Amino acid sequence: MAAKLIEISALGKSFAAPGGARHQALAGIELSVGAGEFVSILGPSGCGKSTLLYMIGGFVAASEGQIRVDGERVTGPSPDRGPVFQEFALFPWKTVLQNVMYGLRVQKVPREEARQRAMDLLDLVHLAAYADFYPKQLSGGMRQRVAIARTLAYRPRILLMDEPFGALDAHTRTRLQHELLGIWERDRKTVLFVTHGVDEAVFLSDRIVLMHGGPGGIEEIVDVDLPRPRVRADLIANRRYQELVLHLEHRLESMQAGVGS
Amino acid sequence: MTAVAQRSAAPAQPQADAVALRAVTVGEPAWRRWLPRVLPVLVLLALWEVCARRANLEEMPGLAAIGAALITILSNADDVAGILASLGRMAAGFALGLAIAVPTGLAMGRSPAFARLVNPLTTLVYPVPKAALMPILMLWFGIGDLSKILVIFLGVSLPLLYHSYQGAAAVDDKLVWSARAMGMRGPARLARVILPASLPDVLLGCRVGIAMALITMISSEMIARQEGAGELLFNALDMAVYPEVYAMIVLIALLGLLLDVGFERLRRRLVRWSDTLHGEAT
Repeated sequence: MAAKLIEISALGKSFAAPGGARHQALAGIELSVGAGEFVSILGPSGCGKSTLLYMIGGFVAASEGQIRVDGERVTGPSPDRGPVFQEFALFPWKTVLQNVMYGLRVQKVPREEARQRAMDLLDLVHLAAYADFYPKQLSGGMRQRVAIARTLAYRPRILLMDEPFGALDAHTRTRLQHELLGIWERDRKTVLFVTHGVDEAVFLSDRIVLMHGGPGGIEEIVDVDLPRPRVRADLIANRRYQELVLHLEHRLESMQAGVGS
Repeated sequence: MTAVAQRSAAPAQPQADAVALRAVTVGEPAWRRWLPRVLPVLVLLALWEVCARRANLEEMPGLAAIGAALITILSNADDVAGILASLGRMAAGFALGLAIAVPTGLAMGRSPAFARLVNPLTTLVYPVPKAALMPILMLWFGIGDLSKILVIFLGVSLPLLYHSYQGAAAVDDKLVWSARAMGMRGPARLARVILPASLPDVLLGCRVGIAMALITMISSEMIARQEGAGELLFNALDMAVYPEVYAMIVLIALLGLLLDVGFERLRRRLVRWSDTLHGEAT
């Protein structure tokens, strides 16, 4: 069997806890993700889903096991794996255009070409008119659009999205989910999408990795066998969509009840 | 399609900011803004004049005598050259601090191991009055410019280091990770991500540093008297030329004020992009 784009085996993470003990945050993670797949990582808060994403990004070192991307072991960040964070993490001293150009300039793309590519991406996220604005002048939804464009600019094969719409209001979140799907259907990048929203995960994903906490691990992997392109209004009436949402909600609920007892 | 709605909505925001700004700066006559700032100084000067006339002491000359001494100093080419030389040393010491203390502080903020290494040194140096090191520096480097510049450098270094350290430590990891994912390496990140992200804090440190530079400049010249503002001040004091003593104090205070106001303008320009213009009240 050919290896998948991302292969994670026996992955674990432990932190030093007060008093010299070790706190096991994640243990025994086994997961493979194929090229072009949209996979959501869903779980209760504190289950380590963001930590898992940071390890795949190479921002946080693994304590046990390993992650391979395209056969190469992950030892640090790479422009191949582009992160998008809930906090946007834009460079506040740079304008919108300069933010999107930044990664290209780091990679020595000539200024004019970088500018053109950045403007194309700003067009894609409907922000071309805001090229010369500073991030502080934009709304949360607009900032996250800039952040997505900034990451797309250096053309990573894998998008690592850490609750990217978690800080946005419901209306903006829905709209950005739609736009993200549009972008994904256009160039079929591999997406790992961390969220705690069940409907968001079902709406977007090919597969959903459901995680449990204490220590964090994979509870269940759910295939989302819904046709694409997906339209939210149609999905709400779709029987299979309802079943998936109900199933995941129940699983999450029983997990939280388990934590509470 | 979503862009249409936003295109019409969002440009209104900067305009609204501009209007709000004008309301503050143009809304009231200039004298109303300036009077509260100038009034306390005028009251202090008036009090001084009354006391000076009542006391009639040689050590407490009136405003007219002090003003005359100030004009005499400022029209003496040697004195002015000395004061300019003082400012030159101050700038050199400050620049040395910028070049050494700021990168060190930024690196400390991003590397706990490096911070642990440097912290004992700064804690040790912190309570030492920097001017007290002047005699030692004079032994090593003579009484010329070098030892004075070095003592000014020591004076400005701690606030620059401390604020750079705090600023860099507060930079969001995600900002650094974003740069790392783009392929930016360590030293470049320090200059192109950590420095600009901590700039509001670094500039607050600079503001404190400028005051420290002025203080150490004067005290270094008090100890090693060759030429300069401190030499003028303390020689006048030794020779009991009191109008000149007060004239120098006023001059030094005015220099400090000028530097601070000028720097504050620069600081606001440099951090226009920042969410908060924090430190406004300090």
